[in-house]
Amino acid sequence: MTMKASGMEKTDLKNASVDPTLTEVAPSPHLVEGGRTTRRMMIDVLVALAPLVGAAIYFFRWSAVRQMAICLAACLTVEALCALMRRRRPPLADGSAAVTAIILALSLPATAPWYAGVIGSMVAIGIGKALFGGLGMNLFNPAMVGRAFVMISFAGALGAAGYQDAGSAIDIMTQATPLTAFQQSGVVTGLADLLIGRTNGSLGETSALACLAGGLFLCLRRSAAWRIPASMLAIAALFAILQTGFTAQGWTPAHHLCGGALLFGAFFIATDPVSSPLTPQGQMIYGAGIGALVMIIRIFSGYPEGVMFAVLLMNGLTPLINRWTIPPPFGEQ
Amino acid sequence: MPPAVATIDTASPNRSWRDNALLQGWLVLLLAIVFGALLAGVQTALGPAIADNKRNETLSRVPQLIPPPDTAATSAQLEVDTRMLPVSSGGRTAVYRIHRASRDDELAGWVVQVAGQGYADRIEVLLGLSPAADVITGLFVLDQKETPGLGAKIAEAPWRGQFAGKPAALPLEVIKGGGASGNQIDAITGATISSRAVTDIVNRTLADVRDQLATDAGKAAP
Amino acid sequence: MSTPSAGQRFIRGILPENPVYRQMLGLCATLAVTNNLKSAVTMGAAVLFVLVCANLMVSLIRHLLTPHLRIVIFTLTIATFVTVADRLLAAFLYPMSKALGPYIPLIIVNCIIICRCEVCAAKQGPLTAVADALGQSIGFTLALVSLAAVREILGTGMWFGFRVLPAAWPDWVIMVLPPGAFLTFGLLLGLTNWISAQRAGKEEA
Repeated sequence: MTMKASGMEKTDLKNASVDPTLTEVAPSPHLVEGGRTTRRMMIDVLVALAPLVGAAIYFFRWSAVRQMAICLAACLTVEALCALMRRRRPPLADGSAAVTAIILALSLPATAPWYAGVIGSMVAIGIGKALFGGLGMNLFNPAMVGRAFVMISFAGALGAAGYQDAGSAIDIMTQATPLTAFQQSGVVTGLADLLIGRTNGSLGETSALACLAGGLFLCLRRSAAWRIPASMLAIAALFAILQTGFTAQGWTPAHHLCGGALLFGAFFIATDPVSSPLTPQGQMIYGAGIGALVMIIRIFSGYPEGVMFAVLLMNGLTPLINRWTIPPPFGEQ
Repeated sequence: MPPAVATIDTASPNRSWRDNALLQGWLVLLLAIVFGALLAGVQTALGPAIADNKRNETLSRVPQLIPPPDTAATSAQLEVDTRMLPVSSGGRTAVYRIHRASRDDELAGWVVQVAGQGYADRIEVLLGLSPAADVITGLFVLDQKETPGLGAKIAEAPWRGQFAGKPAALPLEVIKGGGASGNQIDAITGATISSRAVTDIVNRTLADVRDQLATDAGKAAP
Repeated sequence: MSTPSAGQRFIRGILPENPVYRQMLGLCATLAVTNNLKSAVTMGAAVLFVLVCANLMVSLIRHLLTPHLRIVIFTLTIATFVTVADRLLAAFLYPMSKALGPYIPLIIVNCIIICRCEVCAAKQGPLTAVADALGQSIGFTLALVSLAAVREILGTGMWFGFRVLPAAWPDWVIMVLPPGAFLTFGLLLGLTNWISAQRAGKEEA
């Protein structure tokens, strides 16, 4: 372990000036990666989201651009307003509001009306984050709070039926989403389509390859805890195998993994560092819980997809998981 | 009650009065009698009105489900007789409340009151049938707790209006995407389960009571 | 501490000691019946009737109460008047009675009423008790109406059943569902606290 050069009274390691004549000691934790700031992490997430944004714009064209522009504008405005109400400088530069905006936009259907994005952003930032005391204090993933609010409010436009727009010029928007098509009429979408993203769905979830690429980047950069997506996908796969068996025909476990928002949720939604547990063990429990809940909702409930509710439910358990799994300090009984 | 004092002075009559729980509670007993009388009075005065309200809630819907008389000359009031009809089939027993509507002693139609499971909770409906029980004359949803904005549309006129005029002989079928004809019912977009639930209730009711009602109608005819 | 007069009791119940926003009592009914203004006002009226009757009754017999039997007597009194209110609604406002369902009978366990019997009616005269009951129930009704106005307007675009927002308004269905009750109550409670904090700040300055 390297003793970080730092004055006792100076906790900001990055900016601490080093006096070569002094041997400096500091209380733990001795952070090795001093550059790990909120801003760097959020920029990582934005970079990782790039393939998803690209796929969304390629497949959904103008609707995707419109949705993201609406959410970005609304989220940044609300973030600034909330900060001003608390007489603070708007923390727009940390990028967290932009990440919330893009994730919210990517979790909405291409057909979503403009007000869904606006109200979703207001609730996400205003109620989901600012009311709890801002970034780092929120119990639930802000983007999912916003999405849950608009999805329950405008069930007609954002529920399973809302994804279809028979009059759309874009071909895939006239189809049902793969999960709905399978649940209601037993139509199985081809795996290749699911991988590339030639299906209807929420803007960011359709292309499994884009989700994987962005997600792996995040995990390799250690901006996302790899244990969460790993355990989540493993448990989801286990449930899928239990349901369908090892089959290569019809709706296979691979369809379960690549269809719907499972990959998008595993890498980008469940890994939100604020609302997920801190300890490695806790992250495994949390990811497994989400994976199990997603599959239970998919298989047994009236909803075709359950990532949003699963994440929100496990967010609620995060403080408890933290309590269970944080090791006691040395010397404590 | 405070714990009894160690030495009880039985000589003092005042003391023993205070120790008697029944006598201590004289105010409670008195109030109970007074309030009981008050409630009895309220119930006697209002009971009939409340019972009327409950009955009218259902009966006021019956005329809307029975087609108007063929000839405009008939101005006779609709008379409604209600009876319960238990039907056992396939190991389960369902109880139907049958309202028989007649004008001038002539059978004008049937209204069947029945409940079944919906998406969220129980759905209670009134189903209107022609005198021979061969055509559905209307449907009304009395009670439902389906999702507002989606499933709750089962109670709205445009959707439930589809049932009027459908033949009762064939089971009804829910289709998606519009364009229902014959014995088909259009599902509510986004609420297929609620649409199916109501249609299933109707189908089951028809299967259970149609023959019985047709027989009754034949008997009633002169 | 001197005992508050009738006038003070009345004024306090409305805002300074509002049963919902200040004492946080009777929240079950508050959350459950405020998805439209008609239910909210009916509920407020039912509570007004029960609270005035119960407070008056308890105040009149306050000298006869023994400490260990008083709760039984309060409950008996409240239950009686709640039943009367329930029957009256069922007879004269049947649709409202059906819409409110179990929440009218549940006034029996509404803490506002037993709290007022204990705090005021069991200690002060009939006039003060009635003034207190009126103030508290007006405060309760105001709180219900404030919640219901927000929820009904956002959730259905209506106000007292009249359309106030354009027909193009997308109904925020969640507002008329239970989560909307919790969200609205939390936000309004925060707002009232914020306003009183601002006021306290001004007074100190």
